[in-house]
Amino acid sequence: MSAQVGRENVVLQSLAQIGACGLFLLRILASIPRSMRHAGETVRQLWFVGAMSLIIIMTCGLFVGLVLGLQLYYVLAIFGGTSASGSVVALAIYRELGPVVTGLLFAGRAGTSITAEIGLMRATDQIAAMEMMAVDPIAYVAAPRFLAGLIAMPLLCCVFCAMGIFGGHLVGVSWLGVDNGTFWSNMTANVDMWKDVINSVIWKSAAFGAVISLIAVFQGYTTAPTSEGVAYATTRTVVASSIAILALDFVLTAFLM
Amino acid sequence: MTDPVHAKPDDRTLVRIRGLTTVLNGKTVFDKLDMDIPRGKVTAIMGPSGTGKTTLLKHITGQMRGKVGEVKVDGLNVPELARDQLFELRERIGYLFQNSALLTDFDVFENVAFPLRQHTKLPEVLIRNIVLTKLQAVGLRGAASLMPSELSGGMARRVALARAIVFDPMLILYDEPFVGLDPIALNQVLKLIRTLNETLCITSVLVAHELDAIKQVADHIYLIANGKVVAQGDPKTIADDGSPWTRQFFGGDADGPVPFQYPADDYAEALGFKQGAA
Repeated sequence: MSAQVGRENVVLQSLAQIGACGLFLLRILASIPRSMRHAGETVRQLWFVGAMSLIIIMTCGLFVGLVLGLQLYYVLAIFGGTSASGSVVALAIYRELGPVVTGLLFAGRAGTSITAEIGLMRATDQIAAMEMMAVDPIAYVAAPRFLAGLIAMPLLCCVFCAMGIFGGHLVGVSWLGVDNGTFWSNMTANVDMWKDVINSVIWKSAAFGAVISLIAVFQGYTTAPTSEGVAYATTRTVVASSIAILALDFVLTAFLM
Repeated sequence: MTDPVHAKPDDRTLVRIRGLTTVLNGKTVFDKLDMDIPRGKVTAIMGPSGTGKTTLLKHITGQMRGKVGEVKVDGLNVPELARDQLFELRERIGYLFQNSALLTDFDVFENVAFPLRQHTKLPEVLIRNIVLTKLQAVGLRGAASLMPSELSGGMARRVALARAIVFDPMLILYDEPFVGLDPIALNQVLKLIRTLNETLCITSVLVAHELDAIKQVADHIYLIANGKVVAQGDPKTIADDGSPWTRQFFGGDADGPVPFQYPADDYAEALGFKQGAA
């Protein structure tokens, strides 16, 4: 009986969190016109979550491309289809690995720091101080970070995809001897600009960016103002973002394909 | 219902609290609390820890809105104000937080300039002059380029004070302003509070425990306990009013109407000594 009540509480709490997060999104969207006054803050956050994430995104993109090129080469070699490695690497990266891995890395790198920063601002009364100075913290703190995540994710995903394809090319062409012309021509023949690049890379990663930023900002903003509260909020950001990315990936793939 | 924005202010009383009742987590913090904060005076609010002094400041600034009772600031009933109206009111209120609450991304200068940059379009030269004037007043003009992490607790509080007075507000609320200040800084802050009051006709509300400091600066003291005002008066006479509250609080006694011990089970039993055992 008590276990059932406990499960019901967890479900209710989760639903309440999702509802609160949705209302928080509405507050952010409503505050975006006002946050335009703080455009400098948005640019600063864009630098922080975007430019500062470049190293990890480029490195991981390269290694994902390298390992994908290697795996696909040996699988395709069984069927004598190594010439298709370029297009398969590109499709795998554009359609799934690019947006999903970039999203997971972005949640770990930028999402956690956004949550921790806002959580500490909450714990040290900086948010309350802004309210007392008649500055709306949603417009000054939350909206710029949300917008920065929304803008940065597609750009980072493009960089990730470029590095992944470079990695696949490095392994397939430079190391294992796939013909350079075949690698590129197969890729350009099979990759559809609208379906694979615009829909999968741009829209999907923008949606992931919005969800990660929203979760990160919401968790930081609503955290308990203690060191333990900030730690829990940071963990929740990674867990919730990862689940949201994978679930949203399925939904978006089903609609966009 | 009267329009809270166009309510007529009382000339003598800046903050008027009537019948404020607050219950937090099942505990009654205020029980029909009544209080008047006179304009242009320094009013101190004292009381045992956990008695709701900071909560009272939050009610005055609308950070916390009571469902029962009235909190009027300059004639405006704070709980009824819309968010924009509340922000307009807050532009006329300075608030000094217990932990200073400086913005850690900005240096001292930018912290003090922050409200000016957010609410005015003053030229940079004027902002610089105002900020340096306020920093000079708190003795930290030379620290303008330091980051909050480079400041001591006392210095951070003085920077927060400079930020709180940057708009020359009608009301300043000081939450524990003397904690962590060395005697020199304490004396200067006391002088500053007094000077601001006298020269700018600012109303000040202090939440503090330091009776000696309060005696030097306050015009009126409220002692709150158990959710009510239990004593009030001027600093010279309040300690001698003879009530058990003032006797215990100002005498620092453990025994009295304010229990020192948090309610608990029998001590001997908790230690494992049964009653009647030899």
